[in-house]
Amino acid sequence: MGNNLVDKLRKAAIKTPSDYAKFSREIEKIDTLTEINISYLASYTSEVLSPYIVVELAKKGYKGSLYFAPFNQFEQEIHSLDSELYLSDPDVVILHARIEDNHQDLVLRFAKYSDIDLNLMADNIIQRHKLMLEGLRNKSDAKIIVMNFGNILMTEEYFNSSPVIQAQYLFLQRMNNSLVELCNKISSCYVINYQELFNGIGLNNCIDPKLFYMARIPFNSNAQIKFGKVISRTIAASYEPPAKCIVLDLDNTLWGGVIGEDGISGIHLSDEYPGNVFKDFQRALLGLRDQGVLLSIASKNNLNDVLEVFEKHTDCLLKKSDFSSMQIHWENKASSIEKISKELNIGLDSMVFFDDNPVERDWVRKQLPNVKVIEVPKNSMDYLRVLNESTFFDRLALTSEDKARANIYHQEQHRKNDLNNSISVDDFLKDLKMTVQIGFSDDFTITRIVQLLNKTNQFNLTTKRYSSADLIKIINEGGKVLWLSASDRYGDNGIVGVAILVEIKQREWLIDSMLLSCRVIGRKIETVFLAEIIKILDGNNADFVYGQYLPTKKNNLVSNFYNQHSFQLTDKKNNLWEFNLNEGYIIKPNYIEVSIKND
Amino acid sequence: MIDDMKLKEVISNVLGVSIDIINDNSSPDNIDKWDSLSHLNLVMAIEAEFDVELTPEDSMDMLSVKLIRMILSDALNN
Repeated sequence: MGNNLVDKLRKAAIKTPSDYAKFSREIEKIDTLTEINISYLASYTSEVLSPYIVVELAKKGYKGSLYFAPFNQFEQEIHSLDSELYLSDPDVVILHARIEDNHQDLVLRFAKYSDIDLNLMADNIIQRHKLMLEGLRNKSDAKIIVMNFGNILMTEEYFNSSPVIQAQYLFLQRMNNSLVELCNKISSCYVINYQELFNGIGLNNCIDPKLFYMARIPFNSNAQIKFGKVISRTIAASYEPPAKCIVLDLDNTLWGGVIGEDGISGIHLSDEYPGNVFKDFQRALLGLRDQGVLLSIASKNNLNDVLEVFEKHTDCLLKKSDFSSMQIHWENKASSIEKISKELNIGLDSMVFFDDNPVERDWVRKQLPNVKVIEVPKNSMDYLRVLNESTFFDRLALTSEDKARANIYHQEQHRKNDLNNSISVDDFLKDLKMTVQIGFSDDFTITRIVQLLNKTNQFNLTTKRYSSADLIKIINEGGKVLWLSASDRYGDNGIVGVAILVEIKQREWLIDSMLLSCRVIGRKIETVFLAEIIKILDGNNADFVYGQYLPTKKNNLVSNFYNQHSFQLTDKKNNLWEFNLNEGYIIKPNYIEVSIKND
Repeated sequence: MIDDMKLKEVISNVLGVSIDIINDNSSPDNIDKWDSLSHLNLVMAIEAEFDVELTPEDSMDMLSVKLIRMILSDALNN
């Protein structure tokens, strides 16, 4: 029923406040959606946003349950543990303290302030946010979403060449820079660019003075709808990892025209219309690749025609080496996508299909319902828009591993080619000259650790998802959060493994979580990791270590992991395995060099 | 002329009450859910649905279905 509702919501024309109010009530009755408790702290009347957030979240499969704190009660709610804020057990806390609500002269009397006044005020406002955010973080594991500072004027008809208006704008920019820096230091804390959103809508289109002066509502219903969409999109992005791979068609997708018919000089790809539209789309795809999304091709074409474009067409920004996988032949595209999925070790539900041909899209949708299919518009100038609107690549954090990923996969292709040539797997592994480093979670590694915990499906013994706040709690309670990084002669893979160890009884430890990125599976790194875990726990005087395997649809790969590593099944029902440190140790391959990073 | 069905539907959607119980005399006095916040929601919804801009005074005076209809027709005719 929940899914029916989600479908219905996605298809329904929900446009006006009245529509939103109606559907919001229907959603309240449904209990099959994933529930998210949201607390909203604001310096204005925020309750009016409720139906918009509820409906937009439901479209994404979530049921938002909202608590709106009385307006301007930030400190009262944040700093006392028995406030309604914490009683509502929030998963997400939204914080929006508009400057102009507490400093009204900033809006209309900006010129009265000296530089010293402004610096002092900026320091005070940022310091206030710092105390609020740290207070929240200490008392709650909730994800925190902060609005940045919006344009404080109420109309577009000011004289924007005035030095006062410009100084005011610069002041806000400076504050916004400081706010982002502050939020980056708080775990699981994200910033919504409220300023950009409302400038985009246009001040005249988003403010109703009547609502503001009568009821302290700083935006009209049109802006409330758009704001609700952005809030929901951000919340959803904090729950769902971005897609890992985009599968692209070629003709009329990466260039205009058909290469097999028009030839290399006939296709549209240039700095003039219409070729520049496709060139820009290619640039955007490279932009995705820069952030760790793998590019691949599923195209019905002659391979040589296509390779000629990549090699010889000077306006083709995408090169053969930018693609992690290419399926170019005349077989059907569903099987091409399956092959790409296998080759890259990426689940179908992490793949996005982009093809201008509606028949191909339909075929893929029917054959592979888990693959995300973008509804590509006829006009190529709209490609970029639908790519961004899809939300499939929304990403709230970007690690150095993300930035290097596409190149790492490129190296992986070389490794696999080597594997085919080498004599034995052991020889091959030896020849890889692998080194691993193991260390304890800290400020620099926690983002990547959380990312791996939340997206790794295959080599993942328990598939427990944790936020950085959860991890800090585990560490504070005496647990250990370990990371493992791996490199070899082809390059550095970065952090690819995570383990969480907790003491369940005196001298007895549980491996609460253990995972490895699929990039490094099958290289005995897992054995080294487990051996080192045991060694670390031995150093903590452990007698017994327990490991658990919690089966999911995707982690069958590790169902025998503990069995293969001399653990004894002790609790069949819970799939709990025991290792007695006084009786044995784990044999690990000698060709992987290990170092432990101690801080 | 105001589309009466449309008006009732908006009121029903925003206040979360059945359309059958809405009549000319419906007001904050006899509909519990018609509180000050939902009154604002109602004003915003009516403005969007009938493509009209209401003044603060209009908004404050619209305290029954009958009054809403009167004020709305005035606003639409001006």
